[in-house]
Amino acid sequence: MASSVAVPRVRPANPALQFLKLVPGVVLLAGVGYAGKLLEANVGRYAKAHHWTFPNIEYVLWAILLGLLISNTVGVPEMFRAGVATYEFWLKAGIVLLGARFLLGDVLKLGGTSLALVAIEIVGAIAFMTFLGRVFKLKPKLTSLLAVGSAVCGVSAIIATQGAIDADEEDSSFAIAAILALGALSLFTFPVIGHSLHLTDHAYGVWSGLAVDNTAEAAAAGALYSDAAGKLAVLTKTTRNALIGFVVLAYAFYWASRGQAQAVGNKAKFLWQKFPKFVLGFLLISTLATFAFFSKEQVGALANLSRWAFLLTFAGVGLRTNFHALSKQGLKPFLVGAIGEVAIAGFTLGLVLAAQRIFGW
Amino acid sequence: MSQAQNVTLAAKPKGFSLDTWAVLLAFTLAALVRAGVFKHIPW
Repeated sequence: MASSVAVPRVRPANPALQFLKLVPGVVLLAGVGYAGKLLEANVGRYAKAHHWTFPNIEYVLWAILLGLLISNTVGVPEMFRAGVATYEFWLKAGIVLLGARFLLGDVLKLGGTSLALVAIEIVGAIAFMTFLGRVFKLKPKLTSLLAVGSAVCGVSAIIATQGAIDADEEDSSFAIAAILALGALSLFTFPVIGHSLHLTDHAYGVWSGLAVDNTAEAAAAGALYSDAAGKLAVLTKTTRNALIGFVVLAYAFYWASRGQAQAVGNKAKFLWQKFPKFVLGFLLISTLATFAFFSKEQVGALANLSRWAFLLTFAGVGLRTNFHALSKQGLKPFLVGAIGEVAIAGFTLGLVLAAQRIFGW
Repeated sequence: MSQAQNVTLAAKPKGFSLDTWAVLLAFTLAALVRAGVFKHIPW
């Protein structure tokens, strides 16, 4: 009887309660980040006072290392996880605020050069990852996800593409795990390669923005080299992010033409939905700074706010990276991702060295 | 109250995306700095 059927009554989650759930994790992000800053200031001083030879480790690396230590030993308790997951939110807010440190002319000039390099990188990365996927006989949609993740912008691009091409959740998590694991490795390898090749801040920053797939890791890899390299890594990576909609749209058309995904209706609406809005925010703040809307002191204050936002992001990069969980995602996608990433890193390094010679960076 | 009635579902995301919230926060902070509410941000 209809009257006896128990219909579950659901009450919507209370927004205030949802917000409060974020607080412990955000406090943890801030605590780990600030501990990184304190370690940078004090460890070097302590080592010097005791006549130890100790490399100068920047707060960026300390924050990531502390996060990794927590995540891979005691783990991040459940109550902190929702707040720790906000690290991408702080990253995007930080990128918008970073716009104050760029004059619009510089953005257009650097962004124009970056755009040309990004276009070459995207075509090369997609072609190579597709080739590797076929050689290793990966599922075609998993290959598409890996190609988009390594060509455009890591996790966001994979999630956007998964929905657009009707890929399996499992394929998506394989691709995300491969991209995140390789992003974590790039934090330790890129600065070493950059220093050994004596790359300038400009060349290294553009290289990090071109070759490191996830935005948080690209920003961290750049900042590990220098503040100037960090700025350029973010700008180049933001240029890559801006193209996400076009690449996802191309894949959606491809899979729809094979009858394995829904056709795209309104293309303009699709592009707007996939377009990262923080790119517009970055450009608007940069425009305001260019027309002296902010005084010099105010630009300094906005730059420091951006640094605080990035500090939370870097702590989050370490806290959400669990090597054991990543290793359980399967060897084959990781292997394809690793071979592809090494090739893309080499290819983009060649591009950057050529651009360095042409533009005199 | 039955168990079924106690179910709390996370509301399906409506309104602004994470990106848009991040932009709004950044703009609010920029406006507060411009208005002189935050005069100096230490680092």
